[in-house]
Amino acid sequence: MILQALYDYYQRKAADPESGIPLQGFERKPIQFVIVISKDGRFVTIEDTREGEAKKRRAKSFLVPAGETRTVGVKANLLWDNVEYALGANPRRRKDIDARKASFQARLAEDLVPEANQHGLDALLSFLGRDPIAEIESSESTSTVWKEVLETNANVLFRIDGEEGTLCDTLRPFIRSSDAGGTPSVCLISGARRPISRLHPPLKGVRGAQTAGARLVSFNLRAFSSYGKDQNFNAPVSEEATFAYTTALNVLLSRDSKNKLLVGDTTAVFWSDKKTEFEDEFAAFFSMPSKDGPDADVRAVRALYRSLQSGTLAAESDRSFFVLGLAPNAARVSVRFWHHAKVAEVAGRMRQHFDDLEIVQSPRDHGSLALAVLLVDVATEQKLDNVPPMLIGDVVRAVLAGRPYPHTLLQQCVRRNRAEQTVTRKRAALIKACLNRFQRTHSTEEREITVSLDPTNTNPGYRLGRLFALLEKIQEEAGGINATIRERFYGAASASPVTVFPQLIKLKNHHLAKLKKAGRKVNLERMLTDVFGGLDEFPAHLAMEDQGRFAVGYYHQRQALFTKGDSGLKPEASTEKEGET
Amino acid sequence: MEHWNKAFCVEVAGEYACFTRPEMKVERVSYDVITPSASRGVLTAIFWKPAIRWHVRKIEVLNPIRWISVRRNELGAVMNPLSKEGLFIEEERQQRAALLLRDVAYRIHAELEFVPPPKRPRPLHPVPGELVARDEELEWPDDENPGKYYAIFERRVRRGQCFNQPYLGCREFSASFRWVDDATKERAPIEETRDLGFMLYDLDFEDEKDPKSAFFRAHMLRGVIDVPAWESEEVHK
Repeated sequence: MILQALYDYYQRKAADPESGIPLQGFERKPIQFVIVISKDGRFVTIEDTREGEAKKRRAKSFLVPAGETRTVGVKANLLWDNVEYALGANPRRRKDIDARKASFQARLAEDLVPEANQHGLDALLSFLGRDPIAEIESSESTSTVWKEVLETNANVLFRIDGEEGTLCDTLRPFIRSSDAGGTPSVCLISGARRPISRLHPPLKGVRGAQTAGARLVSFNLRAFSSYGKDQNFNAPVSEEATFAYTTALNVLLSRDSKNKLLVGDTTAVFWSDKKTEFEDEFAAFFSMPSKDGPDADVRAVRALYRSLQSGTLAAESDRSFFVLGLAPNAARVSVRFWHHAKVAEVAGRMRQHFDDLEIVQSPRDHGSLALAVLLVDVATEQKLDNVPPMLIGDVVRAVLAGRPYPHTLLQQCVRRNRAEQTVTRKRAALIKACLNRFQRTHSTEEREITVSLDPTNTNPGYRLGRLFALLEKIQEEAGGINATIRERFYGAASASPVTVFPQLIKLKNHHLAKLKKAGRKVNLERMLTDVFGGLDEFPAHLAMEDQGRFAVGYYHQRQALFTKGDSGLKPEASTEKEGET
Repeated sequence: MEHWNKAFCVEVAGEYACFTRPEMKVERVSYDVITPSASRGVLTAIFWKPAIRWHVRKIEVLNPIRWISVRRNELGAVMNPLSKEGLFIEEERQQRAALLLRDVAYRIHAELEFVPPPKRPRPLHPVPGELVARDEELEWPDDENPGKYYAIFERRVRRGQCFNQPYLGCREFSASFRWVDDATKERAPIEETRDLGFMLYDLDFEDEKDPKSAFFRAHMLRGVIDVPAWESEEVHK
């Protein structure tokens, strides 16, 4: 299904002349240096193709014949390669440098038809046949560039001086098509009997995999082979289909691709079977917003709601939408999740996800909702690498399938609340979403948690959270204290209330006595009575879900206390801690 | 004597299943539904002899398709059968991820084909002449009839007997099975219609040294997958 969908995507892109997707036998490769030679094979200069300023300088991409997979052994590419192969330069003092140079020239001779000679091939061959290194080094103007080329063993292309395109472009019509090799067998993507490829090209662009590229379909150890088959003959895929799906995936994974999103160690790509607008917005729901567009996720969510309401999504709602999540494992890539559904269904699920996450927030909060931003709050030291493994993939799968979030997410939120002794908006939103989704699927008797304060909710965890917030507020207004009860007692209050609350209730009387305004004192006491009314007793322990409700109750009450006009209380002078973000 | 192959129906269920896609065998990804090959495996685990052959005809998916992703430490090397020291797993670990199916249940409709004695494969190690009871041997041809095997299978399924525990794709995912009398009286399959792409049908062991995979285009219509016959054109060998 996965490879099939990628194959279809490739066909869609190949049929579109503006897509720029390479055709079989070619690839797009950024090549930094172009060596310019004259029509009779003399060295002219070396051009640097990097564009952009300072740190963002990137080499220009050229359409070149597909590169050979090189592990050990000498194999030259056609018409482009690094200077060891192309010119015979030896910056690293290799012993087989002559073999490399010879193999490059042999390829030129074998894989291009004789007519190519008039179009620049003989110029190139004569340049390479004489001593190219000496010619380059004798030219003064290129000495700095040449040094850089040598140091980095850069890939080079060739161009004839006076012509527009590189030699790859001019000689493309003269490349000899390779004979079909390999025994024909049934291809599992197309179902046709075609020659089967032994190795599949690697994928570049999966974060965390090795830089030479990692493979999706690979049998790199004997332990993985079955029925006596070797390498990719274990999974027969024809050469055309191999090229199609790997090219499609590499295009989706390329650096500037809009169809890619990164959450933690999972790189996910998504596409639809025809061009849709939903495709453009999808990445913003998950990825960390970039520095030049910090509100991208908020805008994307708003656009989603608008399109759902106004019905503009209806036009594309019947298209199929695919999401593929990949995770690296050294030289291989594993599939974390795979989801395919109609755009309407996916849009509906995303909307449900954001509905569940909606929670009251302070005016200063940006309201970021991208999954990566939310999960950062769940990680130790706010580093996404510290999120428990598998959690990201499980959460994304739960979002797309409309199922409850993994229990691990709730546990992590509660644990971070205890560790940091505070409840942030993001964690409160995640807890609310976890509990509501669970309740919806399993129809428990608990009430759904509302977006803002719910005075009628009698769940003990929720009420205790509210109580804790009120006690903290009383202490703050009494003044003169640096470490509030939150910093010292949050964890214990949440996990085993009976150990902490009686003491706090006793202390609050002293705090209340310090308040100057009698009206304020009365108000606060009235609120306390309201909250107490729903509580029978202080439980010895709170279960994990109730600890979650404790956190949400605390957060709701805090937000209510700091909102003007709400809850009958005016925000007082001690507003240093106004607005949790 | 003309006879038709009797069709049986068995309900198979399990907590986990992994019908590994051939292309994603290392970092396992399962097919969405059970393959005909795995169905045959379940039936074979319950009952098989050289006298019979199983043909899977229809698969009904009874539970919604749900996934779970796990990461396991597995062995990354093949032990040499002649080795005296064996393998020390600590040195050969490989971490492999797997995308499995969760809480699966299927109804498999299959036909049991009776193979008459002359057509059966010759045993590799026949019973030596002196141990064969000659008078019994004369009665065997009369006893050979398909009804015998149908009855054996039905008895075994009803009692829960099997040669080895049936499994769903990989041995670690055991399956439980149940006899189904009348499929129409059982719960309906899920209401999903999907094109499942090319699925592995089975392996062609004509040439034992080079087994070849056979694929077919699977369509799930309201939870039912019709499996084409092995000889038909729809199976790409």
